[in-house]
Amino acid sequence: MAPSVRQPSSQWAQGPAIPVISVLIALFLGALFVLASGHNPIAAYGALLLGAFGSPYDISETLVIAVPLTLSALSVSVAFRTGLFNIGAQGQLLVGAVAAGWFGAQFASLPGIVLLPLTILAGILGGAAYGSIAGWLKATRGVNEVITTIMQNYTVIYVMHWLLQDGPMSAPNALGTPASAPIGDGAVLPIIIPNSIVPLSRLHAGILLAALAVVVFWFLLWRTSLGYELRAVGLGARAAAQAGIDPKRRTILVMAIAGGFAGLAGMIQVSGLFHRVYDGFSSGFGFDAIAVALLGKNSPIGITLAALLFAAFQRGGTLMQSNAQISSHLVENIEAIVLFVIAAETLVRAIARGRGTPAEAL
Amino acid sequence: MKRLYALAFIFTILASTSCSALGVGGSSVKIGLVTDIGGLNDKSFNALANQGRLDAQSQLGVSTSVIESKKQEDYVPNLTTFAQQNYDLVIAVGFLMTNATWKVAKQFPNVKFAIIDGAPANDKGDTENLPNVANLFFKEQEAGYVVGVVAGLMAKNKVGKATHNTVCSMGGIPIPPVDHYIAGYQDAIKTVNPSATILNGYSNDFVDQAKGKEVGLNHISKNCDILFQVAGGSGLGYIAAAKEKGVYAIGVDADQKDAAPGTVITSALKRVNKAVLDTSRAVKDGKYKAGDNFFSASNDGVGYGTLDPVVPADIKSAADQALADIKSGKITPKDTVQVKG
Repeated sequence: MAPSVRQPSSQWAQGPAIPVISVLIALFLGALFVLASGHNPIAAYGALLLGAFGSPYDISETLVIAVPLTLSALSVSVAFRTGLFNIGAQGQLLVGAVAAGWFGAQFASLPGIVLLPLTILAGILGGAAYGSIAGWLKATRGVNEVITTIMQNYTVIYVMHWLLQDGPMSAPNALGTPASAPIGDGAVLPIIIPNSIVPLSRLHAGILLAALAVVVFWFLLWRTSLGYELRAVGLGARAAAQAGIDPKRRTILVMAIAGGFAGLAGMIQVSGLFHRVYDGFSSGFGFDAIAVALLGKNSPIGITLAALLFAAFQRGGTLMQSNAQISSHLVENIEAIVLFVIAAETLVRAIARGRGTPAEAL
Repeated sequence: MKRLYALAFIFTILASTSCSALGVGGSSVKIGLVTDIGGLNDKSFNALANQGRLDAQSQLGVSTSVIESKKQEDYVPNLTTFAQQNYDLVIAVGFLMTNATWKVAKQFPNVKFAIIDGAPANDKGDTENLPNVANLFFKEQEAGYVVGVVAGLMAKNKVGKATHNTVCSMGGIPIPPVDHYIAGYQDAIKTVNPSATILNGYSNDFVDQAKGKEVGLNHISKNCDILFQVAGGSGLGYIAAAKEKGVYAIGVDADQKDAAPGTVITSALKRVNKAVLDTSRAVKDGKYKAGDNFFSASNDGVGYGTLDPVVPADIKSAADQALADIKSGKITPKDTVQVKG
């Protein structure tokens, strides 16, 4: 018996039309803000484009931002697909980072062929373990995962203060910058663009891991029976909910998978960029990830494109400040408007169709 | 469809009236400022640096730009953006950027850099001076000492609401720029008012005002009457606690009398704006000096801010005398914290 899945009334609304329109509306309103502050929107957006894609270095920098953003968005989306809200991607990212940073430093003497895969695993498992806590609380006690994951974000931030500011993981540094010991050379994700092609590129092998993660995401949800069941549950199919694996285990499993994606993002930031854990680093990815997931409509290609778009905004925003003298907050404004328009669309359609699970409306 | 045409029409108009918005000013000397993650509106550190940049623009006729960093990943690309555009001077605002500046300065040996409150740090975390980086250090303990004289004497003479002979301070994170202030403050208190009770604490944050307020209320419950904040945005919460309980506070970095008039009796000034202006002028005049550059009382790099009317004239004289003594070398304030809290 096929699960009863309600279809949206218009097929047109299923594709990329709504996200594209949201972005255009946001850009238009952003242009009005620029005008109102006495600057030229064409110059502003020109600088934005140039900063994001103008030179190979700029493209490389855009990709550096897009990598953790994509992974964090996959984290959010895999949960969304099952009808769960993972607001904890940021916390899971940080746990993965701390785990990878600790492991990579602790076993620094191991050769890369052993250390790198193990460090990757440490990051994934760290995030997965952290995510599964929220899943377990939801499964056994019915605690809303929105609340637990948000609280977990703060918890890991404070624990990191303790760990890194004169705490167990802090390493002696010039001027007391709160940071951990450097990871071993074997745990470093190497820069994959040689200096002769793009000098100063920071683009590291993490992009390959992210691409792999996108494929895993797609495979899991569209090519495994577990994935089919998860999507069906997310679309409100009661039959699938009863016939598949125990709902409690499903919730814990999904939150663990979600945490794993985000943990990998954290590990990549440590291994590819900083080579140690800094207190307060990588802020914001987990929250931007929610917008990226929504904009990308929780699909592998959508998420990848949406992450690239947001990364382009943030990277281009740098040049907008230095060349067009526009405030850095304009980029945040644009991102917020995109999120707002998409949320409005989701709300309107959910209301129009009566009750439905969140995954259905997306 | 009509809406799309309207949009296209508007953009065409905009495009036809567009003109280049690149940079300002006619001079060929370009100065770039990269702020820390606190943002430009922290009312102290980043704001002061930005003020210095604007002063340089208007007084020296150089062209300037500022990029705000939103997260630590941004430091290297932000500095690189200015370096790639051949800026003459790239200023990194803050101790968190020491490693990023080291990385970028090494890759652009022909671009001059400056770090406020720091020296370049290599990947191992060790200081490694570079020939194209100026380390702009401040002797914060001197500013802390002068405001400590004010606080100590107010408490000793039981001026106004300072009745309990207890003073306190709150830092953001225990890093050298913060601890230097507190060290000088405590040194002064012990000198002019040895019987005073001294408290100290840290909010572990430079942004969260609620945390600062919590520490403040805690200190006030232990009878503290004068609260010295050394915690940027978080410290504004410390000041708010003082205002709420009707006692006194001391600001930091910039003159913060407007943060809580009647509550803030003075501020420990760190003239970051002067450092930015002086270094910009040095680059323009060809007198740039790499390595350690100190800003202290002797070159007006530190000082104390507007005194609230509640501070009596004799205490003002004492503060001026302390400042003069520091300038002449008669007093050398300690730079290690004695009461860690």
